[in-house]
Amino acid sequence: TLLSAQRSHDAAPLCSKPVTELSLRSLANMGFTDIQAEQIYDSVSKARGGSTAKHVLSTLTALFSMGLNPSSVLKLLEKCPELYTVKEPQLQQRIDNLRKLGLVEGSLQRTVSHHPQILTVPVKTIKNVVVFLRENCLFTTHQITDILRDSPATLQENLDQLEYKFQYVYFRMGIKQTEMLKTRLFRFTLDEVRCRHTFLERRGLYQTPDKKGQTAVINPKLDSVLNIDLDTFLSNVAKASAEEYDVFQRLMAREWQEQEHYGKIEADS
Amino acid sequence: EKWATTRPKHPPTTLALQHFDSTYSVQLGQLWPSVRAALLSERKYGALLNHFSHDASPADLEAQGCRDFITDTDTQAQLCSEQEPEVRLEEEDGVSLKKSHADQQLSSLRLSPNIKCLVFPRGNITRFKPAKPDMLGYLGYYLMDAASMLPCLVLDVQEGHSVLDLCAAPGGKALALLQTQSIDFLCVNDTSVSRTTRLKRVFHSYVPKQLLSKQKLRITSFDGTKWGEIERDTFDRVLVDVPCTTDRHSLIEDDNNIFSKSRTGERRGLPQLQLELLLAGIEAACPGGEIVYSTCTLSQVQNQSVVEQAVSLALEDRGIQLQVVDLRPLTHMFRKTFHFAPDLHVGEMVIPHLAANFGPIYMCKLKRLT
Ligand SMILES: C[S@@+](CC[C@H](N)C(=O)[O-])C[C@H]1O[C@@H](n2cnc3c(N)ncnc32)[C@H](O)[C@@H]1O
Repeated sequence: TLLSAQRSHDAAPLCSKPVTELSLRSLANMGFTDIQAEQIYDSVSKARGGSTAKHVLSTLTALFSMGLNPSSVLKLLEKCPELYTVKEPQLQQRIDNLRKLGLVEGSLQRTVSHHPQILTVPVKTIKNVVVFLRENCLFTTHQITDILRDSPATLQENLDQLEYKFQYVYFRMGIKQTEMLKTRLFRFTLDEVRCRHTFLERRGLYQTPDKKGQTAVINPKLDSVLNIDLDTFLSNVAKASAEEYDVFQRLMAREWQEQEHYGKIEADS
Repeated sequence: EKWATTRPKHPPTTLALQHFDSTYSVQLGQLWPSVRAALLSERKYGALLNHFSHDASPADLEAQGCRDFITDTDTQAQLCSEQEPEVRLEEEDGVSLKKSHADQQLSSLRLSPNIKCLVFPRGNITRFKPAKPDMLGYLGYYLMDAASMLPCLVLDVQEGHSVLDLCAAPGGKALALLQTQSIDFLCVNDTSVSRTTRLKRVFHSYVPKQLLSKQKLRITSFDGTKWGEIERDTFDRVLVDVPCTTDRHSLIEDDNNIFSKSRTGERRGLPQLQLELLLAGIEAACPGGEIVYSTCTLSQVQNQSVVEQAVSLALEDRGIQLQVVDLRPLTHMFRKTFHFAPDLHVGEMVIPHLAANFGPIYMCKLKRLT
């Protein structure tokens, strides 16, 4: 489209005329140093050969269109070489979609640099997750943007798993959306969350609130359960020994594995 | 909706937990959260080796990392407890509850070499496979809470003894006592007929028929509280392993739970029943004989209080003088395997811990002086 052509033009001023052939020179023209250009050239040739090489330049152009400098682009590709194989129109569509979801300048770049895999996720998948977060978990648009920014890996999680994690924290732990956001809940795996929670619960230090939201003990804040290292969690919150938690983790892992196994057998029959 | 519960609002397991929270947080203080987490998590078992089975070689189990906790003791602990008795002698527990000299006890702590109970080491959560029958049909081991071995060991059965197990079903402890092969005559009783039937089945899967002859073994279904009326001053050793709130069980199984509303009366009556059973056991023992009282609850009301009342009532009503035997040498010896509650007034108690998830088992040993 005219618009995206325009944008790539702005972002990569050194690339004055459209190039299609990948060469060290064309890379240098985009602003890469000789060494960087060689690195890219090498990885592309090692990747899938011919077909990749053809669209790599336009892919790079799309990455530049986010306003990243050459070394950031290179880092991104090193972190996530799959991006070489994504074609420009898709990439551009995905970037536009993230912008639409509220990842404006600054946060877009940070999110992508931190978790470039987000650009390998099809727009449709992201839309599904967003609808899910809005409709099943009742997050606001603003909160969803925060989730994308703080925990982009959420977009690649299995929706059933995500739902389970949300319901676990919402119903079992009695945590509201705002607090989930504050703690960046979605950065933690389900097992991390429920292991620490179950441990506290069995020690009598955490209770599921009743219908009126009341508990007989004062539950620790989600933040002080998840956002601290294990030693601090054990000494300040759980008041337990590392040995106890170590055994507990192994017991839980076995228990969950057996439940899963059992669940599968049930589903099959 | 996944978490909306379909269970009744107050299932017995929940009531049990509420009850324990209010009583044990006071009784155990700082220890309670740790004990609580252990009680609510998967327990550990011990494998009581069956000497009567051809498959009773511990080699297989040892290859998996098991060890016999009875021989694998804390030698250092033994040493320091041997240096201690002098200090302990100063402690006086009042008129009726004299603890005997620790050094005397050490020498009298003769554990039968025939009882072997294998456990996986501390922190190891491996499970035992079910025991397999040998070519004659006898099973190689009996799985039970390893801490239940302690009351049997404490009972200190010697060659030629006659022994009464007043509440014996389903028979785990009686089976351990039979392993000693030194009992002259064993009398196993349990008021429940269905449970004595189960006990008989257990015996037949573990013990050869010739050892279950009428001369060696008697199985009865009497009300144990009446035993003193039937057979007094008779047995060298009496095990009184009473019904109790079975704390661990009450937290996991709603069916037939002692904390269900319909069993409230029965539950409240437990301490009285326990007291009567212990008094009957005391009467059944001969002068000089020894009685071990045991439960699988942490409850002070069902443990220490019952023992204290029994000791004073035995003297007041029946003129029987008793001595509470100091079990500290034993707890020192086995502290590598079990966690023991600190500083009980009478008796000793194994408390559950995630890394050594056995118990709860309370035990107290009494010696009949008259
Ligand atoms: C803790 S269990 C005994 C477990 C057994 N010692 C073992 O190691 O397998 C308590 C037993 O006491 C029995 N019991 C309850 N009331 C009794 C009574 N009045 N007289 C004798 N036994 C009784 C119960 O039927 C139950 O089997």
